[in-house]
Amino acid sequence: MQSLRDIRREIKAIGATRQIMLTMKRISSARIRKAQKQMEQGRPFAQKMALMIDNMRRDIENETSPVRQLPDYKFFDASASGCKNAGLLLITADKGLCGAFNAMAIRETLKWIKRNDSVEKYIFVVGKKGRDFLARLKIPRLHIAGEIVGIFPRASYAHASMIFETIRRLTYDNKVCKVDLIYNNFKSMSSQALVSKTFLPFNFEEIPGEEDLSDFIFEPDMLQIFLTLLPRYIGANIYRFLLESQAAELAARMNAMEAAAENAGGIMAGLGVQLNKVRQETITNELTEIISGANALEA
Amino acid sequence: MGQNKLRLQIITPQRPVLDKRVDFVALPACNGEMGVLPGHIQYVAKLNYGVLRYKDGAQEGTFAVMGGLAEIEHNNVSVFAEDAALEDEIDIEEERQKLVKAKAALSAHDSDIDMELAEMEIKKALLLLKVKSKHPKL
Repeated sequence: MQSLRDIRREIKAIGATRQIMLTMKRISSARIRKAQKQMEQGRPFAQKMALMIDNMRRDIENETSPVRQLPDYKFFDASASGCKNAGLLLITADKGLCGAFNAMAIRETLKWIKRNDSVEKYIFVVGKKGRDFLARLKIPRLHIAGEIVGIFPRASYAHASMIFETIRRLTYDNKVCKVDLIYNNFKSMSSQALVSKTFLPFNFEEIPGEEDLSDFIFEPDMLQIFLTLLPRYIGANIYRFLLESQAAELAARMNAMEAAAENAGGIMAGLGVQLNKVRQETITNELTEIISGANALEA
Repeated sequence: MGQNKLRLQIITPQRPVLDKRVDFVALPACNGEMGVLPGHIQYVAKLNYGVLRYKDGAQEGTFAVMGGLAEIEHNNVSVFAEDAALEDEIDIEEERQKLVKAKAALSAHDSDIDMELAEMEIKKALLLLKVKSKHPKL
């Protein structure tokens, strides 16, 4: 049986941990507002880039278009054959303590690896958790194409454009022509959804747009504009994925910490009851001893 | 406020920087500076790292823009730059420090990612310093 001192010490320790959990929750909820604002502010750029890409759609889909000669055209060519290798962009968090956030993304990654068992696999990983996991894996034909860690909660567009440049290089080298994506999407403060989909080549149907750019004059020329536009369009997309994951991570941590703090409160209440019981038992024991001692004297 | 004004928008991936009615815009297009007045033809131009100036009545403004695209359409001038900074908001001392720090990072040879980030930082700091020191007038 635990002594009074042990129980008191345990209550104190759990109380301190609970305080840390509550603080982490508060930090997350303060950061999440900032993260959401960042997402909102990035939207106009992404939308406009999508519109402009859509405007060039006719030029891109035209079979005699010079765009078709560019290596970057691969990002649009869903029928691309010749290369069977698989690419993946995996976005995880840098830290744990956020529920199943990382575990879910990693489980999905394992499925992806299994699906692409027979081909060369190239993974670009964001976040320490994903990086550490992949580093432990010993799987043939699995290559880490690149990694970025420690960017949350300050993910910036510069990171996104670097990710794209790496993917672009892989594509130029004919190592990949299809890139999948696994990340956690921010749905609301209380829920995240794991997204696993094909990112490149594009599905034009997913790009919204109605403008007609046919009357525009391009300087210096259409190809150059296309080459300037494309990395920004894809970069803006990747940037959005980073921000979504960032906000989702904070939301997940907020919820996990709230649940943990609640749990700690429950344990503390239970220990409080136990403490009282032990104390009362000690008192009763002492009383019994005193009374029986006094009785013995009287007799 | 009539039909004869341009609507100048500067949008970066991070945030919309400016949305303003102006009389005149000068863009750092890739083939040299390009002036835009109301009634300009539909145009899409690639931008260099450089200076964007605008004039609104007696008021003038100068921005440092970091590459990108400009779209001119029905008196709407939309600039999509990697980053943009209002001249008045540039802090010379801060940029100098950033420049020094980035150069140190570059010589430290940490990782590819850090190197690329540092290079971008240097390019940006240099441009901002240039813009600030020249103080171009319209």
